[in-house]
Amino acid sequence: MSDLPPTRAPVQPPVSPPPTFTHVPQGAQSWLLGRREDARLVTGAGRYVGDLKVAGCLDAAFVRSRVAHGRLLAVDTGAAAEIDGVVGVWSAADMGDELPVVPSFTPGSADEERQRPALAVDRVRYVGEPVAVIVGTDRYVAEDGADAVRVDIDPLPVLVDPGQAAASSTWLFDGVDNVADEMEFGEPVDDEVWQRAAVVVEGAYRQPRLAPTPMEPRAILAVPELDGRVTIWVSHQAPHRLQKDLATALQLDVERIRVRVPDSGGAFGSKSGTFPEYLSVVRLALRLGRPVRWIEDRAETLSGATHGRGQNQRVRIAADEDGRMLALALEVDADVGGYPIAGFVAAETGLAAAGPYLTPKVHARVRTVVTNTTPTAPYRGAGRPEQVYAVERTVDLLARRLGMDPAELRRRNFIPPEAFPYEAPTGRRYDSGQYALALDKALELVDYGYWREEQRRRRRSDTERALGIGLCSFAERSGLEQAPMAHEWASLDVTPDGRVVARIGTCSTGQSHETVFPELVAHTLGIPAQCVSLIEGDTDEVVQGIGTFGSRSMQAGGSALHQAALELIEEAKRRAVRMGCAEPDVGYADGTVSAGERSWTLGDLATASPEPLRVEGVYDNAAAFPFGTYVAVVEVDPELGNVRVLRLVAIDDCGVAVDPEIVEDQTIGAIVQGIGQALYEEMPYDNQGTPQADGLLGYLLPTIGELPPLTLDTTVTPNPNTALGAKGAGEAGCIGTPPAIVNAVIDALGQSVAGTDIGGVQLPLTPETCWRAAAGQEVGAR
Amino acid sequence: MTGRTPVRLTVNETDYDVTVEPRRLLADVLREDCNLTGTKLGCEHGVCGSCTVLVDGEGVRSCLMFAVQCAGRDIRTVEGLAAHGRLHAFQQAISTEHGLQCGFCTAGFVMLVVGALEDDPSIAEDPERLDGLLSSNLCRCTGYEGIRRAVLRAYGRNGTHEKDGAEGH
Repeated sequence: MSDLPPTRAPVQPPVSPPPTFTHVPQGAQSWLLGRREDARLVTGAGRYVGDLKVAGCLDAAFVRSRVAHGRLLAVDTGAAAEIDGVVGVWSAADMGDELPVVPSFTPGSADEERQRPALAVDRVRYVGEPVAVIVGTDRYVAEDGADAVRVDIDPLPVLVDPGQAAASSTWLFDGVDNVADEMEFGEPVDDEVWQRAAVVVEGAYRQPRLAPTPMEPRAILAVPELDGRVTIWVSHQAPHRLQKDLATALQLDVERIRVRVPDSGGAFGSKSGTFPEYLSVVRLALRLGRPVRWIEDRAETLSGATHGRGQNQRVRIAADEDGRMLALALEVDADVGGYPIAGFVAAETGLAAAGPYLTPKVHARVRTVVTNTTPTAPYRGAGRPEQVYAVERTVDLLARRLGMDPAELRRRNFIPPEAFPYEAPTGRRYDSGQYALALDKALELVDYGYWREEQRRRRRSDTERALGIGLCSFAERSGLEQAPMAHEWASLDVTPDGRVVARIGTCSTGQSHETVFPELVAHTLGIPAQCVSLIEGDTDEVVQGIGTFGSRSMQAGGSALHQAALELIEEAKRRAVRMGCAEPDVGYADGTVSAGERSWTLGDLATASPEPLRVEGVYDNAAAFPFGTYVAVVEVDPELGNVRVLRLVAIDDCGVAVDPEIVEDQTIGAIVQGIGQALYEEMPYDNQGTPQADGLLGYLLPTIGELPPLTLDTTVTPNPNTALGAKGAGEAGCIGTPPAIVNAVIDALGQSVAGTDIGGVQLPLTPETCWRAAAGQEVGAR
Repeated sequence: MTGRTPVRLTVNETDYDVTVEPRRLLADVLREDCNLTGTKLGCEHGVCGSCTVLVDGEGVRSCLMFAVQCAGRDIRTVEGLAAHGRLHAFQQAISTEHGLQCGFCTAGFVMLVVGALEDDPSIAEDPERLDGLLSSNLCRCTGYEGIRRAVLRAYGRNGTHEKDGAEGH
């Protein structure tokens, strides 16, 4: 074993790579491109973390537990340390007092009783948990070192299901049981309501674990600088939160840490956390005084990072004979894996339980339960796809029970436009919506009447494949409701040549910010878009920020920039007044302040005074509620169980779309992830807690071959709380798609599988699941 | 395993003399030894296609080839496509059609398409063959529609590729 070396000053003059946004290939100024980002991204000139070259950089590799639950008896690093090129090997014991602990996302919450060390201390709780870290001269050598470490674990009983774990006497954490948190939303529904209702339906659903799978796995490069600071290059969604967490975990002054996000290869919620591996890498870079990077590989990330979803759900709905919903109760056991790092995801499922419906009584009870599986954390939608799936399947069940058209049932229960702002029984306050408008548009575009007739025709025929039509109506929260997270910082600086530099606290991981934010600022100021540039993802340049998640970037960040631009116009006018013109005369248009015969460009005003022409602020942005209706038409091959999606119509309302093309890009991408969830994706575990997929041949992502004909359209209900009017976009596709497809498949398979839906058809709808359902066999029992 | 072997790699018509362990993957040598980081590693087990490069004109997964296998062969990477300040028609098309978001899979798709379509542009006119080709690579952002449109824009009837080069001016 090797002890930690003493803290050293950097031994190499570190070479920080050039800022990403200035790295533009030769000749690119003359190219006409779809987005600004593309000049470097289509030519191979982009700079992702793994592309950054720093002199003397070392590579880290991790040894991970292959046992789901056990006592960690010994970690033998001797052979690894002998390997030529291995600089050091550390287990938790070797780190000693220097071992960092992952800071709690919600200080004071249940997760503080269940601390997550950077390396497992005396217990391993899931396959993939880091047990030791090797630093070597390159990644091959570091991985040789990882292979040479011997880990001795005494197995303990394994819990892979949250319901089972909640009831078990085997506890993952000594002294505290496996239920990390219990939350309630709304008032419990009286028994009398269920007893008196004309109809009560109940469904039980399983949300499989999904691997978020951005094409670039996690990546970090920590560079100790000569001035005593450390630069962290990282693929991340929330650099300021990471900066703060690193400071807390490593007991560093936050000013010493600069977090920079270069080009990022996708995130989908999965790169918003402070990962144990990141703490080890930064700790060792500082101890060694050398740059250390860690580039995760795909096999590692599938079990060693985080998963999304993972819930057992039970839903009851009571309705009168006309289909008016009287009560809705949702119970969730959320599988949070080995460490409860993100209970807020399941809380969202509970808070959102009412969906778009005017149900007078709504109650949700949510438990987060630790199990011997990979921790769960946000994945695109983060709590909303789970809620929408549970409710929309049960609404279809209600329609079948009542013999009602599922579209008409939904229409009868929608919160009407005049009821907004609407406070749901769970305490959630919805801002605005025109739910029936989106439903009607979806039905019209899919030609609902035609497909219902076609379905009847096929049912009369014995030879043709069964056809099904499935609906999903939803309202989702975008941005955040809680005070410190419901704002965003922005600044605008005018340079002497009249250009504008925008800074914003969001952080792109592929969402085209570099294109749309300058467009928005330029449009507001009435100047050409090429006069505006954007800086984000750098904690030195951007003094504070919340980041990019929950579809918040345009709603919160865009609105902040919009407000800042309006303030800049006012500031420019004040400058002109100070230069001697009379206030009532001052006007602003197209980058120029004018008063009578006199006029000043923004550049003139920036140079006229030594005081910089700039505005800066923190702008409040309440949560918003985008919504929509998706309709899927499917046919199912009863012999093979294959599902073919014939049509998918998506009507989304994200308020004012600032750049409709970019919104559409986001929608299609999310829809295809939703198709993956509905039909292909699952990270299954065996009962020993071993994940059953360690590569992309085992974990199936949709390819272009799985793409159905898509029809996208929108309705526009502006965000009533911002002048910009934008609500969030980016996650709706994977919220609306899975229930629409699953409802369509059940509609195709017919009454035989409808039943009560307890133990019924469960995600993903693999050919086996559908074949068993079509053949009337027990399904969902895997 | 650890002996180092001198190899001359010809990448984008430039010779690189590197000394590498036989076990080093072509992708890692391109990225680390030749400083050609445009080729990305998305899965390192030959499934996602992000690391696709052309070797003697054929699209290959550079995570499944050793660099020493490529001595004396003609390697093309994404860095070699734009010439004289002008984009290749498909680079232009994939941007115009929004066939990328995060951009991590883009070089792989670009090399896959260029390798196959320059050999046989008729693939663009046959939806089944085109889907077959494009389904060998994975993208998690775009939902693929833009990538398909980009192939048609560049290589379809009246495609921009026929006009030899980019639309930019």
